[in-house]
Amino acid sequence: MEGAEQWKVQVEQLKVHMEHWLEQGLELVHQIPPIQLYVGVAVLLFTTLLLLLTRLFNRRKSNIILLSGLSGSGKTVLFYQLRDGSSHQGTVTSMEPNEGTFVLHSEITKKDKLKPVHLVDVPGHSRLRAKLDEFLPQAAGVVFVVDALDFLPNCRAASEYLYDILTNASVVKKKIPVLILCNKADKVTAHTKEFINKQMEKEIDKLRVSRSAISDADISNDFTLGVPGKAFSFTQCHNKVTVAEASGLKGEVSEVEQFIRENV
Amino acid sequence: MLEQLLIFTRGGLILWTCKELGNALKGSPIDTLIRSCLLEERSGAASYNYDAPGAAYTLKWTFHNELGLVFVAVYQRILHLLYVDDLLAMVKQGFSEIYDPKRMVYDDFDETFRQLRMEAEARASELKRSKQVAMKPVNNARKQGQDQKTGFGENKKSNSGLADVGDAERTKSHQLENGYSNGNRVIESKLTAVVNGKENASSNVGAFDVNKLQKLRSKGGKKTDTVVNKGSKEESKKKVTKKNRVWDDKPVEAKLDFTDPVGENGENNIEVLAADQGQSMMDKEEVFSSDSEDEEDEEGSQGSKLEAKKKGWFSSMFQSISGKASLDKADLEPALKALKDRLMTKNVAEEIAEKLCESVAASLEGKKLASFTRISSTVQNAMEEALVRILTPRRSIDILRDVHTAQEQKKPYVVVFVGVNGVGKSTNLAKVAYWLLQHKVSVMMAACDTFRSGAVEQLRTHARRLQIPIFEKGYEKDPAIVAKEAIQEASRNGSEVVLVDTAGRMQDNEPLMRALSKLINLNSPDLVLFVGEALVGNDAVDQLSKFNQKLADLSTSPNPRLIDGILLTKFDTIDDKVGAALSMVYISGAPVMFVGCGQSYTDLKKLNVKSIVKTLIK
Ligand SMILES: Nc1nc2c(ncn2[C@@H]2O[C@H](COP(=O)(O)OP(=O)(O)OP(=O)(O)O)[C@@H](O)[C@H]2O)c(=O)[nH]1
Ligand SMILES: [Mg+2]
Repeated sequence: MEGAEQWKVQVEQLKVHMEHWLEQGLELVHQIPPIQLYVGVAVLLFTTLLLLLTRLFNRRKSNIILLSGLSGSGKTVLFYQLRDGSSHQGTVTSMEPNEGTFVLHSEITKKDKLKPVHLVDVPGHSRLRAKLDEFLPQAAGVVFVVDALDFLPNCRAASEYLYDILTNASVVKKKIPVLILCNKADKVTAHTKEFINKQMEKEIDKLRVSRSAISDADISNDFTLGVPGKAFSFTQCHNKVTVAEASGLKGEVSEVEQFIRENV
Repeated sequence: MLEQLLIFTRGGLILWTCKELGNALKGSPIDTLIRSCLLEERSGAASYNYDAPGAAYTLKWTFHNELGLVFVAVYQRILHLLYVDDLLAMVKQGFSEIYDPKRMVYDDFDETFRQLRMEAEARASELKRSKQVAMKPVNNARKQGQDQKTGFGENKKSNSGLADVGDAERTKSHQLENGYSNGNRVIESKLTAVVNGKENASSNVGAFDVNKLQKLRSKGGKKTDTVVNKGSKEESKKKVTKKNRVWDDKPVEAKLDFTDPVGENGENNIEVLAADQGQSMMDKEEVFSSDSEDEEDEEGSQGSKLEAKKKGWFSSMFQSISGKASLDKADLEPALKALKDRLMTKNVAEEIAEKLCESVAASLEGKKLASFTRISSTVQNAMEEALVRILTPRRSIDILRDVHTAQEQKKPYVVVFVGVNGVGKSTNLAKVAYWLLQHKVSVMMAACDTFRSGAVEQLRTHARRLQIPIFEKGYEKDPAIVAKEAIQEASRNGSEVVLVDTAGRMQDNEPLMRALSKLINLNSPDLVLFVGEALVGNDAVDQLSKFNQKLADLSTSPNPRLIDGILLTKFDTIDDKVGAALSMVYISGAPVMFVGCGQSYTDLKKLNVKSIVKTLIK
């Protein structure tokens, strides 16, 4: 009982103290000339605005480039080729993404300072696909690597994967550019980019029908591709979709580098 | 001889291979190992067998989780190298000392490796010599133990028999964890057939990791091989006959609740249903609310919290702030145990929960705990990622696209519904038909359940309601032939999809499984859909693995057709006990393509992976 009473008294005392301080504080504020006050507030507002703006600015100019594509298409080789100019001792199927922020190997020797790129090689194994969704919202560009050598058997799977990327909400909304990279062009039996372009357009055209049927009800989060009633072509996409050839193994990657420079 | 030893990053870059060994590997054992074992959450297993034309390798591996490195050794299977585990551990130790993420070339490791290998080989041969002295008695005792255990495990039937095996033994046991990529399996069973004599092939099921016989057989090592093998073969025969009797005695199972009373009278007043029951739920995005489950979860996690408390809250708090040096098995044990129990309360088969935990442990051991994290949440996150990986389909499950492809080739798309008795095959077949109709696909049903009386009438009722043609030939005929004629009829009348209803059968019923295998071989359907109840627990593993096994064994073709997809029924009756979905997908590798969740035609859904994982974890 006594303890509680004592406590009450203490609280009362504290209250009095507080009131006192508050009065003092207010007096101090009144002593400051109003112009100084206004300037202070203005400075505060300005800095927060600046911070917000830089945030926004930064986000728009993200430097993240994604390497996507089916397993075995050559993404990891490409990743190390871009970073180190060599594929080292070869690769095996990736279990985790490879990530790195660096200046492209071919640009290290250049005089003018270039912005480093944040490159992410997302594993192609379908069990790991979910990883791509984590990276897509921040991406400045997507390189979709296609195995031009072993293309036909994988055409449908590759097209389905590409379809999923092209209809992804972030890709559509932010118009993230996509480069379809026909890899392994060093081999004579590799298909040309024109052929691959055409086959994938055809395949996506068919997918459009069945996919839109599946997602009757959820159009809100699944964007449709192309113009209804017209054969699909990549030019109908709102984001820029281009096709290029490369060979990660032989280091012929100039078109990828160009794509990266355009978007970072 | 060791064939090869590789060190690579989890990102997939090879850092070092043994140039001295040099001989190129046949096929691509490493990629296959990663794709069908490590990425399928089977990395808790002890070894993996890889077969390619002209090669039979065994692969062993170990992870360095903190550095993100993988060490894999490849050797000829016939050699049974004893020092590989030892060598891998030493290589891991040695390499982690010189590893630097920025460095890509490790030529100086060649010399270190040579020494390590010599050491390991010397130690192994010494061990052998000392063993040979005390060989005989030990071996005998072992044999007996093995036989007993075999009998025990078999009789128990439920998979819980596994739990009786000591921990140490389990990790040592050579579980032949094969993936289920088609080619691999065929070669595997063929190879064993050659080695063990043809008869054995049916009981020796190297292809499926769930196989208890195989596990038990290999536990004793190669020396007890033949003995145990014989024993287990007898066991399995006994079991089959026993099961048969059970099957015969069993009354014909209750009719699916959905059907109207069959018979002449009933049929007359069936109202015709012209696709007007609304949209099939397949097409609706599910809004998942987990409010009710959240509460339950808290209780669950409290259990694990209490366990953690035992350690003393101060030390655990200190650990969580500073970040522990590196996690070892003992640290993970309590969290994993709690997680395993939680999975099992969600009806995940025990064996699967066990394997998943082993795999998660393998991926966490040696990792540094980040600051301000608890072990239990680290373990839970790792498990969550693993579950998402498992449940994400490996291939497209866009049936409509497949139907269109078949259409272009002017062939009907054939789906065979298989499963045990009373799981709702016909009812859900009708739901799939309704869904297809809604998407303007013309459907025909084929009544190939010529075994159970009333089955054809039941299907006919559905066909009338949905106004779709049905192909039936009564009960006399061989179902394989009926299906064949149905498909012919479909191509004549231009039906785009044929849905084949088959008799429910227990997985151990040899004659009926043979009939099913014949049906599938003869008609090579585009999709073999396993219909399973979401209610099953441990039995899910047994059903699916045996179905697949029988289909593989009884097939005449070198490339047998197996189960391609799963339809889970009665999903509305299980609350949060969604474990069967996980068990079935894990064991078969086939995706869940449909989920049946109610009594009306519209009650067919897609599986929502995210919500399932959420429910399982919480
Ligand atoms: N001929 C040729 N082969 C290539 C080229 N690029 C990659 N490869 C080969 O393709 C195989 C797969 O390459 P990876 O880079 O590991 O494939 P990935 O896309 O990273 O595959 P995942 O990690 O499984 O997604 C390797 O054996 C490479 O040697 C190329 O430009 N030309
Ligand atoms: Mg890779």
